[in-house]
Amino acid sequence: MTNLPVTSESFTIPVGPLHVALEEPMYFRVAVDGETVTDVDINAGHVHRGIEYLATKRTLAQNMILTERICSLCSNSHPETFALAAETIAEMEVPERATYLRVVAGEVKRVASNLFNVAILAHLVGYEALFMHVMQVRELAQDLKEAVFGNRMDLGAICIGGTRYDLDEDTITALTVALDRLEPEIREIEKTYRTNGSIQRRTRGVGVLSIDDAIACGVVGPVARASGLLQDVRADAPYHAYDRLPLDVLTLPDGDVWSRAMIRLHEALDAIVILRACLRDLPDGPINLGSDPYVPPGRAVARSEAPRGELLYYLKTCDAEEPERLKWRVPSFPNWDALTVMLSRAKVADIAIIVNSIDPCISCTER
Amino acid sequence: MTRLPPEFEETLRAAAAGDLAITTTTDAHGVSVVWCELARNTDLMAVAARMRSFDARLAMITASQPKAPEEEDDEQDEENGETGDVVARETPMTFGGTPLDGTSYEVIYHFILADEAVNLIAHAPANASLASLTPLFRPADWPEREIMELYGLIFTGHPDPRRLFLDNSIEPAVFERLIPFSTLVNAASTDDLWKKVHAAAKATAKEGE
Repeated sequence: MTNLPVTSESFTIPVGPLHVALEEPMYFRVAVDGETVTDVDINAGHVHRGIEYLATKRTLAQNMILTERICSLCSNSHPETFALAAETIAEMEVPERATYLRVVAGEVKRVASNLFNVAILAHLVGYEALFMHVMQVRELAQDLKEAVFGNRMDLGAICIGGTRYDLDEDTITALTVALDRLEPEIREIEKTYRTNGSIQRRTRGVGVLSIDDAIACGVVGPVARASGLLQDVRADAPYHAYDRLPLDVLTLPDGDVWSRAMIRLHEALDAIVILRACLRDLPDGPINLGSDPYVPPGRAVARSEAPRGELLYYLKTCDAEEPERLKWRVPSFPNWDALTVMLSRAKVADIAIIVNSIDPCISCTER
Repeated sequence: MTRLPPEFEETLRAAAAGDLAITTTTDAHGVSVVWCELARNTDLMAVAARMRSFDARLAMITASQPKAPEEEDDEQDEENGETGDVVARETPMTFGGTPLDGTSYEVIYHFILADEAVNLIAHAPANASLASLTPLFRPADWPEREIMELYGLIFTGHPDPRRLFLDNSIEPAVFERLIPFSTLVNAASTDDLWKKVHAAAKATAKEGE
């Protein structure tokens, strides 16, 4: 990087690979003119783990465990979507009750994941009291996960053909109580992000992604919806029980850091509405199709809406127990490209805030 | 009944010089998945351009080297006494005539069009190349770069064919070779442990003398 021309006006600075916004490595080579970013080159590959290769050496059942470990914050979405692909190939009919239980696991993860990202935003703005408060509220969701699933991050909730967990009356009561505590807290946080001057000054009009650029980059999830793109797999290509649940897909027109945070807070609140409906309508019946159901040779694609957006899985099975090919595209993958647009003409001091606003997952991206 | 434009299939067929094999499945939620296999990979650009004009979004690209189909039928034939001599079996072919011998590539372009998944399949024999879709679809950039470092496949016309995740010091086509997992993921960061093991082994050998 020393080969680049250095003049008194423009120079190149390294941002990362460590601690850009989170403790995950991604390296940005940023050309700046004074305090303004003129060009960005993203250098990836620091946590490449070869999981895609490993997946072809594991049986389908083992891959349920492996895929849950691709990402921490949307860990549940991976086995969830992988199972959908396997079930499509096997033409399995997942029991009604399991489709609702899967939504419960997914939406609980969404609440915790979105709160985490919004908390980091407060930290990057320098509003540490708000950061700690949001993390404390997220802790309610973490406790809830631990109480229901026995784990704070990897829920182990999904299996091919249904779920591995069930809800009894006591757990439903505990869930309901936790949701009643969470909702007013998140409403209060949402109000703070909507009105607080410090948050507004650092996030409004910052890192703008226009709807045209959003379409060109193929962004997904809250990043797309904050740029006015009405797009949500749960509504567009329903799976589980989402076509029977009260889903409210919000879009915002401005495409800035603030809009992306507000979309995430809205979706955390909407997740609570969906969770309550699930607990109310939860049908009786079995939760899965028994252990290790047979998946014949074939291929399928499956999609789901992870907290960060559309997650896509392609599975090709053969006569062996291991998949011939397992491929997935995480929501962060297309969203990285949008950073080159968001960061262009941005201030150096805003780089971390903008990077965090796509809720990047690096271990997801590089696998 | 899909949500795709009514002229979808007709438009794609008109764009391709070769044949297309199109199958569609619709699930209980009414969501469809389309598989569209190209007989000739030279049609890729023209068909992709039609997908672009439909405002499709390129969501993912999957590359693989499909295994040669199992030759189970042979034994059965021999049992039936139909084939007395061992006849050299012909290499199975894809729909478009690409040999399925374990060295050819299958590249699937997963598009989202009108909320349905449309999968465009192209085959390429070993040492061949495919046209890069990055000039048409910006989201093809990273996936094509990733495929070029995992396989020996080249996307011609890619505007920026640098390595994406793997370091330049690593030999290309890692998915086509057997590589120790720790080397692939760069996890073997020191040889301290091996030095200790060797030292211990030497010491034991000396004691034995």
